[in-house]
Amino acid sequence: MKGVVIHALCLMLLLMLTACSSQKNMFVLLPDQDGNVGSIEVTNEQGSQVADQAGEAVAVAGRNGKPQAAPPMSEEEIRATFGAALAVEPSPPKSFLLYFKTDSFDLTNGSAALMQPILDTIHETESQDISVIGHTDTAGSAEHNFTLSTKRAEHVRDLLVERGVDPAIIKVTSHGEGNLLVPTADNVKEPLNRRVEVIIR
Amino acid sequence: MLRIVTFVLLVLLTSSWPVFAADDFAGRVKNVQGSVSVKRQGMMLPAERGMKIHVNDVISTGKDGAVGIILQDNTIFSLGPESELELKEFVFAPDTGRFSMLAKMIKGTFVYMSGLIGKLSPGSTTIETPVGTIAIRGTRFAAKIVEN
Repeated sequence: MKGVVIHALCLMLLLMLTACSSQKNMFVLLPDQDGNVGSIEVTNEQGSQVADQAGEAVAVAGRNGKPQAAPPMSEEEIRATFGAALAVEPSPPKSFLLYFKTDSFDLTNGSAALMQPILDTIHETESQDISVIGHTDTAGSAEHNFTLSTKRAEHVRDLLVERGVDPAIIKVTSHGEGNLLVPTADNVKEPLNRRVEVIIR
Repeated sequence: MLRIVTFVLLVLLTSSWPVFAADDFAGRVKNVQGSVSVKRQGMMLPAERGMKIHVNDVISTGKDGAVGIILQDNTIFSLGPESELELKEFVFAPDTGRFSMLAKMIKGTFVYMSGLIGKLSPGSTTIETPVGTIAIRGTRFAAKIVEN
């Protein structure tokens, strides 16, 4: 009997807590899929509040309320409030890096072996959104690099299409030297940066 | 003469709109559940898997709805029921060093995961809400916006 009463009281308390928190605007920091935690800062005319620990929350009563630190949310509370959004949250896109033999359109042997895993991933994730991106290093003529990397990306697109991927879901672009894998100064030859990236979303 | 020039210019400007619109491709719908729609240029379109999302689209979910969207820089937005999100700006051009992402969480529940814009150009991402602006440093967070 006592147990039932305690259960009922707990349930009431939980409902009250849920009711309270459901009236407020809430921001909760979450770890990403690799467990990394960044930070958010909520700002309005009344002030600002930072959260930089997993589960840490910021509450804002309304437009004229000051952003305030709120008690950290447990996993259960997070699931109760955001379960529906979390249930449809897409997995992070998968990325593959392909390398070519010097000044050619031939994939290195290691990269050629990645074609099958790429196709498998496209099918497993039922992807309808694929980017094929040419990247260059910072050496030599930017124009030559850019043209070569774009052509290599187009070549990879063709390889995928030949293997049955719908061309309508593939977007070919070049990031030039704007998205280096290995950060270098300008005019540095870095074979690791001269790559084609396939992103499967 | 001036009138004719103005007219020609106007026609040229107006007719080039679809070109700009095509450039506004920002991402695609990945997961859909229940009723979800996309408001685009005054029209309500039912959201479906694989559907393209453009700048200025307003994505909204019904009572039973939820949707997950991935943008071209790998930013991920997930919306729970009775939620509304407006994508106000999206520029992802690493080759020319141009980045910006501005979205408004209008109401409902959200999970946000930052993408390459957050990594290559920290500070270029802004999330607006009716109760404040969120500055993000490479991260994932959830938000609940109630209208008041």
